[in-house]
Amino acid sequence: MMKQLLRVLLINLVLVTGVAVVSNAESGGENRIDLIGKVVDHYYLDFKPLATVELPRLIYDNGRVHVYRSTTSLLNKSERFTDAGYIDAEPVIQNGKIKPATYQVVRTDGTSPQFDFSITSHLVFFWVAALLTFLIFIPLSLKYRKGIGRSSEPRGAFQNIFETLVVFIRDEIALQNIGPQKYLTFTPYLLTVFFFILFMNFFGLMPWGVSSTADITVTAVLALFTFATTQIFATRDHWKHVFWFPGVPVPIKFILMPVELIGLFTKPFALCIRLFANMASGKILIMAILGTIFIFSDLFGPGVAYGTSWVWVFLTLFVYLIKALVSFIQAYVFTILSALFIGLAVADHGEEHAH
Amino acid sequence: MNSVFAQGLLDVDFGLFFWVLITFLLFLFLLTKFAWKPILNALGEREKAIKDSLEAAEKAKEEAMRISKENEKALKKAESISQKMRKEAIEEAEALRADRAEKAKIEAEKLLDQARNTIEQEKKKALLELRAEVSKMAIEAASRILDEEIDEKRNKKIVDRYIKELNQATADS
Repeated sequence: MMKQLLRVLLINLVLVTGVAVVSNAESGGENRIDLIGKVVDHYYLDFKPLATVELPRLIYDNGRVHVYRSTTSLLNKSERFTDAGYIDAEPVIQNGKIKPATYQVVRTDGTSPQFDFSITSHLVFFWVAALLTFLIFIPLSLKYRKGIGRSSEPRGAFQNIFETLVVFIRDEIALQNIGPQKYLTFTPYLLTVFFFILFMNFFGLMPWGVSSTADITVTAVLALFTFATTQIFATRDHWKHVFWFPGVPVPIKFILMPVELIGLFTKPFALCIRLFANMASGKILIMAILGTIFIFSDLFGPGVAYGTSWVWVFLTLFVYLIKALVSFIQAYVFTILSALFIGLAVADHGEEHAH
Repeated sequence: MNSVFAQGLLDVDFGLFFWVLITFLLFLFLLTKFAWKPILNALGEREKAIKDSLEAAEKAKEEAMRISKENEKALKKAESISQKMRKEAIEEAEALRADRAEKAKIEAEKLLDQARNTIEQEKKKALLELRAEVSKMAIEAASRILDEEIDEKRNKKIVDRYIKELNQATADS
């Protein structure tokens, strides 16, 4: 039993890549720590041990959107859908209500519905971050409209802190990478991206909070926006550099063309993976380090686990601080790289070709 | 199907993708319109005002410097002019004085010459007169001698008388 438990824990620790593992149900004890489950998206907000708030389900199937208040409500009311876990097994009923098992909604015949637009925990925290950005910067802009900061100096910590960040992004990120002619066009986008990512990262540090940037879907959307921006605003010069690199012999041009073409897509892909991996790994690392206490408990007994727990707790604290730092750094890195890619795409080389 | 790993870490969820895309677009638009643009405009305006006033201050400083330099130059010039004028005045006065002294000297010389001339002339005149007188007297004396050549004794008496008279005339004159 103990060996099996240990094995499952170790497997879970190794599984940072998130490859779905076929875990053996017979070995699954109640004490399992689901590492990946802490990082992936859910159809509920986890406020354990206080509560679990199920989120609304919106499922598009057969030409109409089916809206339910929660997964439980869907399972009890819908004739069309059921939980993927209840296709073969008997549903779990609590207080006369069917409780969700996997939260994976399927048709009663076991096939997936057309589109699942359900609200998820990552989406909720994405919205929270968006709303927070909105609630911070709309009042701030009203202050500027009134003339504080426009004709006078900024007043108060609130305005000063956020103005510093805004000016930093404008001058150190946008201006440095895009150049003085076009940087103001892209500064709003960079500001939006920076503060969204920053606030999403910060929510991962809060109790019960989830870092939406630890979801590859969210980072993919953000990277997609950077990609779209670079493609939409790309200059003739940029395309010339992609398809017919100037200043090199013709055979080299043919070699460079696919390289540059692949480069177009690897840039946003790297953006997406970098942010996601950094944010997801922080959480996985914390869970893994804390999990060591339980591994020690299984290996050497509870006494040793209690005795060494302070080491792991301190290490967790350290990782937590690193995470706080990484929250800033990754928001900065994503923004500066976006600015860099945009700057490369919109650069007007003009007559001079220093390549 | 594993219940725990219902969702893989690397799965891209279409629903989430859709919502995030829509939300991001919406907030990008709203924030750009109502937050970033006003803030960036205000910042730009403020920076421009600061830059302008700095430039204006710099310009005013330069202007003040220029004016003070000009003033100094003018002062220097005025001073040099006044010095020159003083020098000139002194020179002029000196020249005038020398001139006047020269003139006075010449005048005095002239006066002296004149006086000398006058004296000479008077002397000549006097001599001429004296000569005439003497000759006249001699003639008179001679004629008297001729007239009254009676005796030597008397002659001598006449001459003596004449000389006495002459002496008397000289003492009278």
